[in-house]
Amino acid sequence: MEGPRSLVDTIVARATPPGVGAVALIRLSGPRAAEIAGALMGGGGDAMAGWAPRQGRLRQLHDPRRGEALDRALVTLFPGPASYTGEDVVEISTHGGHAIPATVVEACVALGARPASPGEFTQRAYLNGKLDLTQAEAVADLVAARAPKARTVALHQLERGLGGRIAELRGQVIGLSALLVQHIDFPDEDEAPVPLGRIAAEAADVAGQIDRLLATAPAGELLREGAVTVLAGRPNSGKSSMFNALVGMERAIVTEEPGTTRDAIEAVISIDGFPFRLVDTAGLRSGAGRVERMGIEVAHRYLEGADLVLYCHEAGGAMGGRDAEFVESLACSVVVVRTKWDLAARGEVTGGGEVAVSVKTGEGLGRLREVLRDLVFRDVVESREEVPVVTRRRQAGLLREAAVEIKAFGEALATGIPAEVASAHLKSAESALEEILGVIAPDEVLDRVFREFCIGK
Amino acid sequence: MRISYDVIVVGGGHAGAEAAAASARLGASTVLITPDLTRIAQMSCNPAIGGVAKGTVAREVDALGGVMGQATDASSIHFRMLNRSKGPAVWGPRSQCDRALYPIAARRILDGLENLDLFQEMVTGLHFHGRVRGVETRGGVTFEGGVVVVTAGTFLRGRIHVGGAAAVGAGRAGEGPSIALAEALEARGLEVRRFKTGTPPRIDGRSVDFERCERQDGEEEPFRFSYYAREPFLEQRACWITWSGAALKDIVTRNLNRSALYGGEISGQGPRYCPSIEDKVMRFPDAPRHQVFLEPEGLDTTELYVNGLSTSLPADVQVDFLRSIPGLEEAKMTKPGYAIEYDYFPPAQLHHTLEVKALPGLYFAGQINGTTGYEEAAGQGLVAGVNAALAVQARPPFVVERDQGYIGVLIDDLVTKGVDEPYRLFTSRAEFRLLLRQDNAPGRLGTLARSIGLLTAEQERALEERLREESRAMAWFRDHAIPPSAANSVLEAAATPPIERPVRARELVRRPGVTARALLATAEDAPVFSQDVLATVEIDTKYEGYVRRERDRAEKLRAQAEFEIPADAPFDEFATLSHEARQKLSRLRPANLAQASRIPGVSPADLQNLVMEVRKRSWVGRAEASG
Repeated sequence: MEGPRSLVDTIVARATPPGVGAVALIRLSGPRAAEIAGALMGGGGDAMAGWAPRQGRLRQLHDPRRGEALDRALVTLFPGPASYTGEDVVEISTHGGHAIPATVVEACVALGARPASPGEFTQRAYLNGKLDLTQAEAVADLVAARAPKARTVALHQLERGLGGRIAELRGQVIGLSALLVQHIDFPDEDEAPVPLGRIAAEAADVAGQIDRLLATAPAGELLREGAVTVLAGRPNSGKSSMFNALVGMERAIVTEEPGTTRDAIEAVISIDGFPFRLVDTAGLRSGAGRVERMGIEVAHRYLEGADLVLYCHEAGGAMGGRDAEFVESLACSVVVVRTKWDLAARGEVTGGGEVAVSVKTGEGLGRLREVLRDLVFRDVVESREEVPVVTRRRQAGLLREAAVEIKAFGEALATGIPAEVASAHLKSAESALEEILGVIAPDEVLDRVFREFCIGK
Repeated sequence: MRISYDVIVVGGGHAGAEAAAASARLGASTVLITPDLTRIAQMSCNPAIGGVAKGTVAREVDALGGVMGQATDASSIHFRMLNRSKGPAVWGPRSQCDRALYPIAARRILDGLENLDLFQEMVTGLHFHGRVRGVETRGGVTFEGGVVVVTAGTFLRGRIHVGGAAAVGAGRAGEGPSIALAEALEARGLEVRRFKTGTPPRIDGRSVDFERCERQDGEEEPFRFSYYAREPFLEQRACWITWSGAALKDIVTRNLNRSALYGGEISGQGPRYCPSIEDKVMRFPDAPRHQVFLEPEGLDTTELYVNGLSTSLPADVQVDFLRSIPGLEEAKMTKPGYAIEYDYFPPAQLHHTLEVKALPGLYFAGQINGTTGYEEAAGQGLVAGVNAALAVQARPPFVVERDQGYIGVLIDDLVTKGVDEPYRLFTSRAEFRLLLRQDNAPGRLGTLARSIGLLTAEQERALEERLREESRAMAWFRDHAIPPSAANSVLEAAATPPIERPVRARELVRRPGVTARALLATAEDAPVFSQDVLATVEIDTKYEGYVRRERDRAEKLRAQAEFEIPADAPFDEFATLSHEARQKLSRLRPANLAQASRIPGVSPADLQNLVMEVRKRSWVGRAEASG
């Protein structure tokens, strides 16, 4: 293992986010990790020789250039390949804040480490075979998770939930190919060929499993990105108050973003752990679009990307033709919110599916949150957390390709295409699944045949 | 004494015969050296050529002008097209051959070639002069001058085991082992490993009660492997099938400790597709019975080859278990089965031309490269012989691509992936199974052979005749409209709807169950087309979409193959690649991106990064400038 690894440099970075905190973690990875850490502790290159793996030791750190004391820190050695990156890793827990960790990182760089680029530790873990591609993606999601639910999904994926599931599906496709190969490559054997009907039925079953996994993709992507929820309505229909009320209730975890555009305010909120990107387009008057002509405030560009529109219409009368026409024209789900319900006339009722809310009294806000959650994340709410979820377009696209190929295999058999010709579809399905995992796997079809059939005329 | 030749072929098995013949056909002065000139292209194991994928290889060798197809036709005593019940894309021709006649036919073909001499002697070492220049022999004769093709695989430090008894050094079926040559090659720093394989006992057919066996006749319609030669057909013989059952299982289990394979005397890896009866019994204890094929050894002998009972148990146990089988109660064993261990040189040490990377001027072909099977040996022998002659003639190398032939799949698998068990071809090893068929090798490889001058004048004429027949047949199906009166009985038989107006044959062939042959028979003055040509028309038409899909994929692979990786690429330094990829690439040293993409453990991300790494190195510019 020494050969290739010694040619890689050693990287260093602060692993905890900048800012004030009790503890900061600095991570070194690469062939010189132990040597550099040893120098910080005032020893030679082999100062960490004989350290027990994964056991922290308290050590005084010095800047080897000037000899000045830096901090008293907890130092832990994770020798490769049993480390996060697969290389030798040293983790140094210093006191938090800005100055101390920055000085320690600087000292490591002076000793020959290179500041890591974003995601580089994970990249190394992937390159060293510690993570499959879905796991590496999960790490990125975990770090960027916008809401607790997204974190759960990412964590599960990291534990190899999705990768494991896809590996399992790949195994089933290989099993199908093996049944066919047994009957093509070994025609004179003890066991009669497996009936094509059985193979077709098993293929349909695998395609069904992929479809079920794919069904989590829309929710999965929303979990990662947050459901884009656009507020729309006529001027003074209560959009901004609604925005503030929804954001305000989740103040503790809201990260307000200035937005990538100047024509809207965006905030990420979490409803029962599910992320929503709430967009308020209030105050837009310019432009001569059809929507504006109708007096309805909304930015087109947001409508196109919206997963959900909250259409605000105040109490005091049912929606008119134009409102209804606008709502009808939307491609995504719409929730009509009857705002300012505290001003509603006695006896006024909401239309079917409408939610009455009063920001002033707080009435209806809980109900609205429930409606939003169920509308977007129903599948995830109802399923158990352990179910792997497809969270990326890349994964979904390849899964879809695999399902299409497996179905094409079944259709080809049904139209009288011989199995040995139709089996090309299974091979394509297998490649698509392998691509999700990021592996070119050895051909396992023959292994399967030899394991399961007594071959040897 | 010193004798000079362009190409010196060591070994006279199936690889050696093809190597020598190919080299001679290309015009290089060639000598084949083997310890016994009466045993050229001997069938040391099962007396049969072909099978699924293997039969296609035998025909590819023929399309390339080789010996195997014609020798098979001259000795075939029982022919079957395996997978006949499936689509013609996976048909596998297989002939039971007369063990005595095959080598005679092979020798006759070799004797008919100009530029080829035969010499009986044991080669003991290589002769170097800057690079490999020749060989030294036991008798002191030195051959020198050109390049050397070593095909002496079955002899390399062979050790035969027949249960309990002491192992005997041995070469191919009863001949002596080649130890000096193996040691000479190892001394040059080549890596050596060991494989094992087994053979079954043989019995006297006069002692068999055939009433208790199932008779299996060959096909009635005669078949030729060779596209070019027209050997007369021989009298045909039947094979017989019986089954081993509980009694045999019991005998094997009780004597397992006397098996060389199970007693620990043999360490090498054996082939999973050709397990010993010990393996079958132990690994599949629930199987109630195993098929046993009794195959004729020849026209002039009553001896039968007991296929399916390969073993390393002692001779007395073999007699016992044979007699537990229905029909064999009184069987007389004529030759016990045995296991053999032998050396091979891991083939990742070779270029695609089969030249040894570390020893320029030296080529390896056949079992020496870790393969099994006459067909696999013949395919390699032919490619090695062609490249040896081309190298001497300073012409560009000859490589069969994976979409051109099973021979290409075989050699590419060997040199880019290596082997971990004796390598045999299967259709599932080929990604372009629909393109690589037993019917269409002339179009794939015959034209290739013609383009480098590998065919004799007679073969060229036959090839042109065959290609003309193919285009005539294609044209007939394209242009000939069949009236309802003629077509509908065929369509009805295939359970597809009748037609109301004349429809072109080409369109009707696309329907499931409708064969080209049946449609042709509906025409009154239909031309005569061979079975092969009809299969070619039928598959290329019926599965046009799938064939195109494979061609497209093949194109993609070709594009990848055009991205060359310099021979001195420092894979170890490519930090953006995974450890596993760096290790595998360093070991296997692919010459282009397509080869790299077939190495397990090299991921798509690795491939992308590999392209970047190769592009960003300045030595790429140098390589391009000098190449």
